[in-house]
Amino acid sequence: MSIRFLFEPIALPVVAGVLALLFRREQGKACAWFCTAVTAFHLAITMYLFGKEASLTLPWGAFGFEFSLKLYQFSGFILLAAAGFGFLISLYSTASMDGRRFLNQYYAYFLLTLGLVNGAVLADNLIVMLFFWEGLLLTLFGMIIIGQPAAFSAAGGSAPGGKTAVKAFIISGVADLCMMVGIGMTIYIAGTMTMSQIHLPVGAWSSVAFIFMMIGAIAKAGAMPFHSWIPDAAVDAPLPFMALVPAALEKLLGIYLLARISLDLFVLNIHSWLSPLLMVIGCITILLAVMMALIQRDYKRLLSFHAISQVGYMILGIGTAVPVGIVGGLFHMINHAMYKSCLFLSGGAVEKQAGTTDLAKLGGLRAQMPVTFICFVVAAASISGVPPFNGFFSKELVYDGALEAGHTWHVGWTFYAAALLGSFLTAASFLKLGHAAYLGKPAADHSKVREAPPAMLIPMIIIAALCVVFGVWNALPLNHLIQPILGESRLEGHTFAGWPTSLTLVLLTVIVLIGALLNHLWGAKRAGSGLGAADHIHNAPVLHPLYDKAERRLFDPYEIGLKIAHFIARIAWGIDRGIDYLYDTVAVNVTYALTAGIRKAHTGSLFAYLSWSLVGLIVIIALIMGGI
Amino acid sequence: MPALLIIVPLLAILALNLPWMRLMNRLALWVGLILCLIQAFLVILHPDFFWQAPSLWLGHLLLFAPTVDYLSLVMFLAIAIVGAVALMVCRYSVPSITDPAETRTCANNRFLVINLVILALTGMNGVVLANDLFSLYVFLEITAVASYILIAVEKGADAFEGAFKYLILSAVATALILAAIALLMLTAGSLSFTHVRLAMSASPHSHVVLAAVAMLVVGLFIKGGLIPFHGWLPDAYSAAPAAVSVLLAGIVTKTTGVYTLFRIVISIIGFNASLQTLLLFIGAASMLIGALAALGQSDFKRMLAYSSISQVGYMILGLGTGTILGIAGSIFHLFNHAIFKSLLFVNAAAVEQQAGTRNMDRLGGLAEKMPVTGSTSAIGFLSTAGIPPLAGFWSKLIIIVALWQAGHIVYAVLAILASLLTLAYFLSMQRRVFFGKLAAGFESLKEANAWILIPACVLALITIGLGVGIPWLFETFLLPIRSLL
Repeated sequence: MSIRFLFEPIALPVVAGVLALLFRREQGKACAWFCTAVTAFHLAITMYLFGKEASLTLPWGAFGFEFSLKLYQFSGFILLAAAGFGFLISLYSTASMDGRRFLNQYYAYFLLTLGLVNGAVLADNLIVMLFFWEGLLLTLFGMIIIGQPAAFSAAGGSAPGGKTAVKAFIISGVADLCMMVGIGMTIYIAGTMTMSQIHLPVGAWSSVAFIFMMIGAIAKAGAMPFHSWIPDAAVDAPLPFMALVPAALEKLLGIYLLARISLDLFVLNIHSWLSPLLMVIGCITILLAVMMALIQRDYKRLLSFHAISQVGYMILGIGTAVPVGIVGGLFHMINHAMYKSCLFLSGGAVEKQAGTTDLAKLGGLRAQMPVTFICFVVAAASISGVPPFNGFFSKELVYDGALEAGHTWHVGWTFYAAALLGSFLTAASFLKLGHAAYLGKPAADHSKVREAPPAMLIPMIIIAALCVVFGVWNALPLNHLIQPILGESRLEGHTFAGWPTSLTLVLLTVIVLIGALLNHLWGAKRAGSGLGAADHIHNAPVLHPLYDKAERRLFDPYEIGLKIAHFIARIAWGIDRGIDYLYDTVAVNVTYALTAGIRKAHTGSLFAYLSWSLVGLIVIIALIMGGI
Repeated sequence: MPALLIIVPLLAILALNLPWMRLMNRLALWVGLILCLIQAFLVILHPDFFWQAPSLWLGHLLLFAPTVDYLSLVMFLAIAIVGAVALMVCRYSVPSITDPAETRTCANNRFLVINLVILALTGMNGVVLANDLFSLYVFLEITAVASYILIAVEKGADAFEGAFKYLILSAVATALILAAIALLMLTAGSLSFTHVRLAMSASPHSHVVLAAVAMLVVGLFIKGGLIPFHGWLPDAYSAAPAAVSVLLAGIVTKTTGVYTLFRIVISIIGFNASLQTLLLFIGAASMLIGALAALGQSDFKRMLAYSSISQVGYMILGLGTGTILGIAGSIFHLFNHAIFKSLLFVNAAAVEQQAGTRNMDRLGGLAEKMPVTGSTSAIGFLSTAGIPPLAGFWSKLIIIVALWQAGHIVYAVLAILASLLTLAYFLSMQRRVFFGKLAAGFESLKEANAWILIPACVLALITIGLGVGIPWLFETFLLPIRSLL
């Protein structure tokens, strides 16, 4: 196949993105359809590319850097998925973003993001990958800041959109810096920049390099503690951005890199300490984020915490380093991208039609927006792991992996337990969300709410349908998309398609889900509304003060980092004042005191001057005659 | 034939004083300028027939056979440049009196000043050419006598005070030098540098020799205006007429004090530990105290005078290292100092003449009205403070590097600190005189005329050119100084 096709996934969106900037303000609609057409064409090309293998190496710049791209099973799959989401969400945006300001910028960042993600996925050279990876910071910042036009006003960065954009930029920047260090170390240890040639055993230094690169990868995917910009962005940024970037593309990219470094670049195995480290990070992310999700009272904010929580399953799965766990993690990645973007899109539809995402003001939308409701139910069931939707199968695989890996340690079952508890809380919080938004009494002023326009419904329907397909016919994605990534040598002939092998685990899952339902019903009855169904957890003795502090962002690593930075800045300021005092006051006063003394000595008296000379003469004669 | 550098100016002075007063009045300036230019071109083009050929019969008028080395050439060039500048400032600031009758009664007239300047130049050429102690002494006195009169030429109370202080302290110096020469004569039986050197190395611990060395060194310290022998210097520099200040600060004290000290230390005494300690200490003291004192001045010329003390300190510090690099740096600094300090005194002359005062507290914002003076002054002070890429930076850098290499780290640090002080007082000078808002009363101020702007621009260009051309200069000009040792 022709080499130039390899450039297309990068060049087409980037060039189109730059062109999108040429649209004038009143041409927003044209710009939207231009973007949709480009993404559709792009999707067609990635479909053509999928399953093919090709590589390309060009000399690039100085110092022996090479611009090398490599297309193979894994990158082709990510490319295809990204293109699919790009097309659907672009289509969705034509309706949902209609009439907003800065549309040309929005679509430009949209396309640039797509192109940069493709570049990072295709890159076969660590430096090239870093180049595209860092480029994403730019579009991330741009996408968030245009969500709040006030950010452009005279107030500048003090507007929430500006603040959130800066927060996202700094958190991602710090993580990217870690990755840069990791890449530098990896290149040094491996002696090459070509990713397909690096296979490092886990040693002392290479594990440090791995951790640095892992930080970059999981931070991109949104794992704790690099998550805290996502809930803020959910409120401030345009909604399709949430569906596209944190829900879909960043998960694809982050987990792609995590899988690459765990499978290819470093030879991770169950006996190294890196594997349990990843699993611990995964479990903590699952639990803490879902706990936060449970108490949210805003549709989008609640979803954003799940976007963090679900990453935990993927990290847990890949961290197990056993085939079943890795397959589960990767399968969960694509499943999550689907149901989470579908959920965000449903949130966008609600926001567009009802004018708010505050759960306290919503209710009873089921009758007015039936299609949206059905899509929501499918996606919520998927994320909660209800059989036979896709989330159920990928979670079961992750459970399998966690248990298999856990055999190595005495308390290995805790990983499974944590994952299962996460599932319980996920189900509980989605029952609460669905109950509060779609069921219950219709809110008074929402009587005129109508179903969303087709351009918004079609993407939701397609994604929801795929959730069902990937669940019921899970052999299709597993055999054709996921398992080839690991390769026959790792799978050793196993296949993970079909119904889960362990009936016990399935039973446990079902019991947990029923438990979640009962818990919800009890809580809703106790509080009198769907929204209050989780209040008994929120108000539990130990949890309540913790929740309070978390809501006040006392646990936000960004805020803590800012406090530390302010503290250091104050110390530095004090030191600076001290040095200034030394120079401006002490040094100057000493100098002027000396000057005054010298002036006083110079009276103009010839007698004095002669005496000085005489004394000087005597001393010098004494020195020379005594010294030589 | 280098003897012509003494004989031709002497003959020129004689010729200028022939009876055709009116004609001579007009010719004097041009004669002086042409002499200076010829001298400068002789150094720059370096024609062998002049420097290498044996003396003609004229040369026998001298009591000694002049010798020339790199150090002398640098001095000749500096003397020629500063001399020409001083003459041009004369043309600008000293009134011309053409009536022959009045010329006799009024001392402050251009013709007289120009004659004395040429005489001082002759004396300095002689100091540089001399290779025996007695001739050296004679030429020192010629220069000094011309200087006393030049300082006093305006006849004010200040002028007399400055001249008197210079006269008295110089007399002390003369007495010391003469006594030292007598003692050395006693030991060596001859006064030529080579003989004295041989005699000294024959009996290095003789008390007579040591006393002579001490007195000689102190005498030259007084001439060079080093701390604590500097009492005469600020008064003399600030009281002298503008043109004379340029000459005195730029070259006279540097030739009679610093160059002579270099020559005597290098050619006769040689380096030893206690002499080096003395030089380093006196150098550092002059450098720091001069700079601190300059910081407290409000008189433009007095500040420049203290700055001169400070800069001479650098030169002595470089000599004190006793290394080739240090001496090369010092000689380079001496030359640079001749350029930038003359430049600053030229600017001071312009300010004094145009604004009528040198008190920096009453001046301000003059750059608006006198842009050329203001900007050349900035170049001059930046070079003095050692800001790259101006020439002053390189010479200071070489001195500091030499100090560091020779292990005198404390002195190197002090030299850097003094550089900061230099920048401090000159920045305050520049701000008080040239920058900021125009001070009241100077609304109708005019820029000085070409007689002062041309030398200012030329000197500024030289200081920039030397700084930018340092790689070339270092190879062709500084490294050959090695042959001195």
